[in-house]
Amino acid sequence: MNVRDKIYDRLIEVSNPERYIGNEYNIIKKDWDKDKIKVLTAFPDVYEIGMSHLGLKIIYHLLNKEDNIICERTYSPWPDLEKLLRNEKLPIFSLESGRSVDEFDILAFTLQYEMSYTNILTILDLAGLSFYSSDRGENDPLVIGGGSIVSNIEPVALFFDLIFIGEAENHIVEIINKYNKLKNNGLTKNEILTRLSDIPGVYVPSLYNIKYTDNGTIKSINSKDNIKPKIKRQLVSNLDESFYPEDFLVPYMDIVHDRATVEVSRGCTKGCRFCSAGITYRPVRERKKDTLLKQIDNILDSTGYDEISLTSLSTVDHTEIQDLVQKLTAKYEKDNVSVSLSSLRVDKFSVELAKEVQKVRKTGLTFAPEAGTERLRKVINKGVSEKNLYEACEAAFNEGWSTVKLYFMIGLPTETNEDLQGIVDMVNKVLEIGNEIRKDNKKSMKPIRINVSVSTFIPKASTPFQWEPMVDKVDLIEKIKFLRNKLNKKGINFSWNDENLSLLESIFSRGDRRLSDVLITAWEKGARFDGWGDFFDINTWLESFRENNINPDFYLRRRDKDEILPWDHIDLGLNPKFLLNEYNKALKNENTSDCRFANCKGCNICINLDVDLDIIGNDYNVYKS
Amino acid sequence: MFIRAEYEKKDQLKYISHLELMNTFRRSFRRAKLPVKYSQGYNPHIIFSMSQPLPVGMIGFQEYFDLELNQRIAFDLIKTEVNKKLPSGLKIKEIIEIHEKEKSLQAVVNTAIYQYEMEFDKVQKDKDKLLKNFLNKEKIEITRFRRNKDDRKIDLAPMIHDGKIVDDDIWEFIISTGSSGNVRPQEVLRALNIETKGLIKKVPLVKIKRIGLFVRKDNKLYKPINSEVLKKEVKEN
Repeated sequence: MNVRDKIYDRLIEVSNPERYIGNEYNIIKKDWDKDKIKVLTAFPDVYEIGMSHLGLKIIYHLLNKEDNIICERTYSPWPDLEKLLRNEKLPIFSLESGRSVDEFDILAFTLQYEMSYTNILTILDLAGLSFYSSDRGENDPLVIGGGSIVSNIEPVALFFDLIFIGEAENHIVEIINKYNKLKNNGLTKNEILTRLSDIPGVYVPSLYNIKYTDNGTIKSINSKDNIKPKIKRQLVSNLDESFYPEDFLVPYMDIVHDRATVEVSRGCTKGCRFCSAGITYRPVRERKKDTLLKQIDNILDSTGYDEISLTSLSTVDHTEIQDLVQKLTAKYEKDNVSVSLSSLRVDKFSVELAKEVQKVRKTGLTFAPEAGTERLRKVINKGVSEKNLYEACEAAFNEGWSTVKLYFMIGLPTETNEDLQGIVDMVNKVLEIGNEIRKDNKKSMKPIRINVSVSTFIPKASTPFQWEPMVDKVDLIEKIKFLRNKLNKKGINFSWNDENLSLLESIFSRGDRRLSDVLITAWEKGARFDGWGDFFDINTWLESFRENNINPDFYLRRRDKDEILPWDHIDLGLNPKFLLNEYNKALKNENTSDCRFANCKGCNICINLDVDLDIIGNDYNVYKS
Repeated sequence: MFIRAEYEKKDQLKYISHLELMNTFRRSFRRAKLPVKYSQGYNPHIIFSMSQPLPVGMIGFQEYFDLELNQRIAFDLIKTEVNKKLPSGLKIKEIIEIHEKEKSLQAVVNTAIYQYEMEFDKVQKDKDKLLKNFLNKEKIEITRFRRNKDDRKIDLAPMIHDGKIVDDDIWEFIISTGSSGNVRPQEVLRALNIETKGLIKKVPLVKIKRIGLFVRKDNKLYKPINSEVLKKEVKEN
């Protein structure tokens, strides 16, 4: 039954009603055949964020390619629609057919960041489902999850019947078909989940028992009898041949990434020690230039977009990038198609590449030196020198860019005021370089603007800094104040994260299952869209911790090296010593080079997950004048 | 070559904004591989202009846009190719060629017909009389609320040209739209609400449809694609 039809005319009362209408060009609407398996994907954030997410686009088209599967979508309703649905006692609906969740066999969440956890609860509640897997019945849809934060999913693990660890392309259809078969054979939910847990990458949280010591740390993580003790991350070994959609949905709304996208490579081995994605997507696998060219052609044809984004964790490192970009600009300039790069390396090569792609439309340039001194950049293994940055910015200003954006982090391990002063000095120097070039420039150039965006370092699970404490709140406020006072020259624009939000994210990043109740309490008190500053209230959260007798500081503290961590049963394929080695090297200010272009660093992911670095060219891309 | 197209925007698409509608058209032109003309400069975009925006929530049956093409193409071909590439809810109904110096749609379109799903406070017997009294008034004063500006009193009477009862609760009004006198469709209802002391209720925008946009000349209504109101010297296709 179409639930949406009942309130169609009342959508005029909510903000941005076009979020809920579906009907995008290329939408897939299949006949609601009773023999088909119905999957509803859910993104726990608002439409314009969820529609920009590449992983979900891949899953949507991958599942709909199967004749026996119908895959539809839903996103978090904005609080005004949530209120309307509650007032009218209506459930959340899918965008394709307007049906409620109880008409689907599977509800599949994608999990991208901790601050969207309360939105999962909103969707479950508006679907009429209990939060905990153990409270849901035999007739409820299977609730599954997957995505980039599965390196530590524990705070929400018990809400899910099943979580997939890693890249799902090769297994998701198998899981769905097997579930359907077992369900049709009359097995109970518990029997089905036990059977599904045999599939590689499938994590059934209820089959793992966590015991705690008296001081609150984890005593043991035990799987039930005959259940694998660890869940091994799955991945696509050959990205070039792996499925990629070409008939993307074209939204009406101006979504966050409103352009055609190709995934040039997956994984990054630069080895930044703060970075979670750098571990969870290893190793690097590149798509071939010719494959990409073909995909881009088809995507532009089917969507009508006039911008193509080359996306990956480090696009400029793709070994065929220069050739690809030259071919693209030669081919599409006359059609007014512009090319954008999702991430730039801090060097002159990147600027040259940016210059090449921005022949059609000029957009901003962003560089991420991440830390203010050579020493601290060695600690975090960000292999960027001041010279790299100044050369890159000089090249950018000379090419006519007047605005650059610089990303830094504060609260990093071993950080001192000297490192913060380093940020100030670098920014001032970049401004100076810009102003010099502007002064000498005969052509009129807009005033130089340096947008400095400073985010708070958060120790993440399965990174070399997973044992580090979160920066103390008082110190964090001092650090922000230090920068705010010193980054005060005309032309510098400084922005930073809300310190309370950073602390909350940090708690959940390394949290465990005892935080599930805190989430529910906070949700009941009205917590929604926490990542959006406008709704976030730290007091709601502090009360929720208190009411559940949980001390948030417990999750912010330094972890012992021999402590069992809440995510120890998730096997990312890492050599157990690798993270510790990297941590020790960090404290000795030692760099680790990228294994793409140097020898193996012993993370052992290639061996443990039976996959190879898949690099098309041989060389590190350098600027040749 | 310059073309002018008549299209309809209905069903779910009543919820997309004017800017979103323009983007949707631009992308459909590209999907249809129409040889559209681009502007010059840093941020080239398709040269394309539209008639008065529809408010979000309202369906429109006779809406218009002008577009410049780099080469001559048969109208039927443009229509079928673009329609194939439009999302459901949008459809081009007719295309004509216009003179390159033709006045813009926003400059010539001055009148619109709106259709209202009326709601009454209680059963009304003599609706004809209600309407007649309203149309015969010499002055219909209401307060116009303006964003970031002071409220202002305006007289709707000279801008409401006619009205009729189509089918009991379905009423239509012909009113001015555009730069030389503009009535917002809901203002007519607000005035009726005041004049009838609440007998006629205000309804949300989704209960109002725009039947069409017109050029009003000598008390007659012409579509902006009618040769009567266009420059003459355009070549036949």
